[in-house]
Amino acid sequence: MSSKPQALGSVGPMRNFGANAKKIATELIDSNEDLAEFNKRLMEYYQQLSDTWAEAQKKVNSKMPKIPNDSEQFDSYKRVWIDIFDNDFTDLFDSKKFGENYGKLVSSELELSKHWEKMVNVMLQSANLPNKKEIDEVYQEMHALRKRVSKLETEFKTEKKRIRK
Amino acid sequence: MKTENKIDPKLVEEFLKFSRNVVEAPKMVSAPDEINLEVTPHDVVYTEDKVRLLHYKPLTTKQSKIPLVIAYALINRYHILDIHPKKSWVRNLLEQGIDVYMVDWGTPSKIDKYLDFDDYVNGYLDHCIEFVKDEASVDQISLQGYCTGGTLATAYISLHPEKVKNFVATAPVIDGWRDTTVISNLAKHLDVDKMVETVGNMPPEFMYYCFSILKPFEQGIEKYINFFRKIDDENFVDNFLRIEKWLSDTPPIPGALFKQWIKDIYQDNLLIQDKMYVGGKHISLKKIKMPIFTQVAVGDHLVSPECSMPLHYAVGSEDKTLRVYPTGHVGMIASSLSQKKVLPELGQWLKERS
Repeated sequence: MSSKPQALGSVGPMRNFGANAKKIATELIDSNEDLAEFNKRLMEYYQQLSDTWAEAQKKVNSKMPKIPNDSEQFDSYKRVWIDIFDNDFTDLFDSKKFGENYGKLVSSELELSKHWEKMVNVMLQSANLPNKKEIDEVYQEMHALRKRVSKLETEFKTEKKRIRK
Repeated sequence: MKTENKIDPKLVEEFLKFSRNVVEAPKMVSAPDEINLEVTPHDVVYTEDKVRLLHYKPLTTKQSKIPLVIAYALINRYHILDIHPKKSWVRNLLEQGIDVYMVDWGTPSKIDKYLDFDDYVNGYLDHCIEFVKDEASVDQISLQGYCTGGTLATAYISLHPEKVKNFVATAPVIDGWRDTTVISNLAKHLDVDKMVETVGNMPPEFMYYCFSILKPFEQGIEKYINFFRKIDDENFVDNFLRIEKWLSDTPPIPGALFKQWIKDIYQDNLLIQDKMYVGGKHISLKKIKMPIFTQVAVGDHLVSPECSMPLHYAVGSEDKTLRVYPTGHVGMIASSLSQKKVLPELGQWLKERS
């Protein structure tokens, strides 16, 4: 008697439900590693921004130690502040360390998207709807067809021109 | 002893005026959807999928025989070349008697993710040029490529040199390894295979992020401070809103095209090394032998002059002109400098060869 509930899970819709739940759970567990990588890269990203900000502000302070109190001073303070911040941040965005970390940040975000996509695919499949791979196949087929039609149209036009001549 | 910190009353007054302008702004300026960016009258003469070919109505009684086809970039829309009657690239050329066509690449959707360089170069661009040749009853046209449109035009001309009489390359993306911009730094470290596999087309948000880190404080703060300060200046506000509207409208780039562009241009730098293939056909810059006019801007922070100029030296043309202008990427095509200096020089160059 006691084995009956378990046995139920091995047949019919419950079997699918069990298999799908397992796939989703596996994806969730697998995504933790990528989530950790994403957080690491995101922290590094903000660290680079905040370090650059602090360094740029120091430069501004040493160049313009007094707080501006008239319109002219305020404008020159703003000019210096924007120039120094733009230069320092452009140097950062141009640097290899920023490029590499940003590349890895985007990459880890995409890995998380992939996990999410796999989970959604499980649900789509259970609802008898096409998943991303199947839709991509349709897009690819459409692309190939459009290319063939375009080629035929070009050939037709060339032939028409030839006959006219 | 207490020190007194005196604040200039003028500064307080300016601050109050600025705050008032911020609050009143929605009542004082038009909403972006009220601004029409289609300035110069034109007809849509050819369409294919989402691509449109625009033909501008002439503004002179006499026009040069060889029409000019402009291949706009893949980023943002073609409107920047006709952004304002007083700063319109297209209008200026029409006033100089040049017959102007413009390729609008449209807004690709998910279904277009497999469109690649071959589709754009040997498909859309070639079909537009064939249409213009038929309509104008000419064997050759002049082709201008702007920014990434310059890359497409370069590939096109290498494969179909017989169809192009003159080539105008305006800030073309050519030598990715020499590019010193922030964009190239991001492109070099991007896992583009994974991006295209996961998201399909290049999402506009990625491009907006790239824009946001180009001169972030001048463009992200000072520009808007100036806007609220000068909100009473009708001309300034009109120009500002037009550019803002243009900036905020960038279509996705088809995944396959984006992948090849990033890999072949920025990561492997194949084009300038004569190692790039489009649709299985070899792109050789040496095959470009017609007159070429290369325009670069010294302050271009999107495509650095070092990235564009190698085209001038790599092509096989004997009649070649290189102009370096003291402005930026957009300033070269939509500013008073472009009206006074860049366009008269280009118009003259084209007329002498048309």
